[in-house]
Amino acid sequence: MIEKYKEWYEARHEYAVQWKKKTGGKVLGYFCTYVPEEILYAAGVLPVRILGSHEPQSVTEPHIFAMFCPFCRDCLAQGLLGRFHYLDGIMISQSCLHLRQAYTSWDLHIPTQFSYYLPMPHHVQSRHAVPFLRAELETFRKRVEDWTGTTIGDADLRRGIQIVDRNRELLRTAYETRKREDVPMSGLEAMYMVVSSQMVDKAEHTQVTEDVVRVLEGRSAGRSGTRRLMILGSENDDVAFVDMVESAGATIVQDDHCTGSRYFWDKVDANGGDPLTQIAERYVRRLPCPTKDWPARRRIERIVQFAKEWDVAGAIIIQQKFCDPHEIDIPAIRKALESAEVKVLFLELDVTVPVGQFKIRVEAFLEMFAGDDLF
Amino acid sequence: MITAGIDCGAKNVRAVILMDGRVAGKASVPAGMDAASGAEKAFDAALKEAGIARTDVSKIVSTGAGKNEPRFTNDVVTEVGADARGIHQLYPEVRTVIDVGAEEGRAIRLDARGKVVDFAINEKCAAGAGAFTEAMARALEVPLEELGALSLASTQAIPMNAQCTVFAESEVVSLVHRKTPKPDMARAIHDAIADRIASMARRVGIEEKVALIGGVSRNVGFVKSLRDELGIEIILHTDPEFVGAIGAAVVATDQ
Repeated sequence: MIEKYKEWYEARHEYAVQWKKKTGGKVLGYFCTYVPEEILYAAGVLPVRILGSHEPQSVTEPHIFAMFCPFCRDCLAQGLLGRFHYLDGIMISQSCLHLRQAYTSWDLHIPTQFSYYLPMPHHVQSRHAVPFLRAELETFRKRVEDWTGTTIGDADLRRGIQIVDRNRELLRTAYETRKREDVPMSGLEAMYMVVSSQMVDKAEHTQVTEDVVRVLEGRSAGRSGTRRLMILGSENDDVAFVDMVESAGATIVQDDHCTGSRYFWDKVDANGGDPLTQIAERYVRRLPCPTKDWPARRRIERIVQFAKEWDVAGAIIIQQKFCDPHEIDIPAIRKALESAEVKVLFLELDVTVPVGQFKIRVEAFLEMFAGDDLF
Repeated sequence: MITAGIDCGAKNVRAVILMDGRVAGKASVPAGMDAASGAEKAFDAALKEAGIARTDVSKIVSTGAGKNEPRFTNDVVTEVGADARGIHQLYPEVRTVIDVGAEEGRAIRLDARGKVVDFAINEKCAAGAGAFTEAMARALEVPLEELGALSLASTQAIPMNAQCTVFAESEVVSLVHRKTPKPDMARAIHDAIADRIASMARRVGIEEKVALIGGVSRNVGFVKSLRDELGIEIILHTDPEFVGAIGAAVVATDQ
């Protein structure tokens, strides 16, 4: 049943096409995890994340600067190549300039019924952030109502919150099991699990994950004797890379990615108050993306806490080339992890991963731990 | 104890026989398309030089880009690990080792026990490796072996960009058109590659003493440029291409 995640990941487009046929509903592609999926679920819309395909392409050059990150180009390429032909709408919440360029270019060149830019505040540490975002969510709710011809009442919002929260809760429970010495799932399996949750109907994903969580209780991934690592960076659905790291003798047990823990860690926890305020609070207070993690750096504290609680020996920082918000944090992350006695390996990623070249770095990194045991 | 180290590099395979910490035999053969048979040949030649048989060798460890190719080895070690162990065996005082081979440049920082503290490897590009000097020697119509000595006769520094081998080659062509003396062009080439290697070494932090190994360290022009760039003395080994293989043979002595 855990294999279901990989199937979904590999057949994401076929899944969405089938879902539309089955339900007659609308599918919306989103560019950033600051998009409030609760409101979309409340309206019966299926949100799917726009991710790249990790293949070289030649179609984005006229639209995106060469010094913008490979991820934003890879995302736009998927649209230009017609891979998301089934989308009824697209949206982004303000995250970074590079990804916004991918969104605006998509909006310009690939017509869809619905296109929305949500001005998610950058300064989430401001006391004005929650009321600001609540007002923006109110506007967004109205726009979604107009688009879908539905009314999104508070009861619908609470239902939307419940659908998304239950999935978050289960993913977190699955992550908690990875604290065990004998880890019940590999890093690759965990990656398929979270990334597929961004591609399929949460109700369906939750159903499978309820069973998976039960199975994990007594499961062993058979990875004892491997080195426990965590992996950090922006988005990462590079299964070939994770597979290479794990076959070199490591197991990834925790992460800080928006295709990982940052996506689902924090819940809304609706408690009967105003649901839009509660949704706004959740996005303002969630595990932050570095674009929103200032002036205080809350993310680094959490990374170190994760490293300790999941008992990792080392961390791999994978940096999307030209991603400034992430790169700026790297010296501080490195310092914090190294003072917590977690070794750090830094790798810079492009659209395609030179697995051979990275393999020697990963192997040499793992050899450094073996040296510790020896001396 | 007799052990062997096989370094299956991108261009050449090197074998070393280590007898009680001393190199008793060594051999180098071109890697060609079949690293496995190259490794066999190099190993046999090294055994011959040492005057021993295969059965006398208690353990064989391989390293290098093709380290998993030979079928007769007992274990593998990464290129980074092999360089570190090799240099520590030869020069225990070394804390930074720079290895410039045919297709890869590496910088490794060690502690007093020879343990790897940090390392960096050149990114997807030939500009920080031996292949760069080969391409440039071709552009200058100078045999590769003479490129180093030629640059020592240079009287002026000319800045050149070594971000990309192809662009650098077109810069050389422009210099040729401007009738720039060949020694100055040769020096510009070595300064450019030394800049790349130095910035990589600075990323891991340079701590003295510094050793330079790998085939490109035979190029006197490059060595001078790197010394000038780093402003420190650099230890050179008489057999710079064999340090990785020696390191692998040292790893083989571990119980």
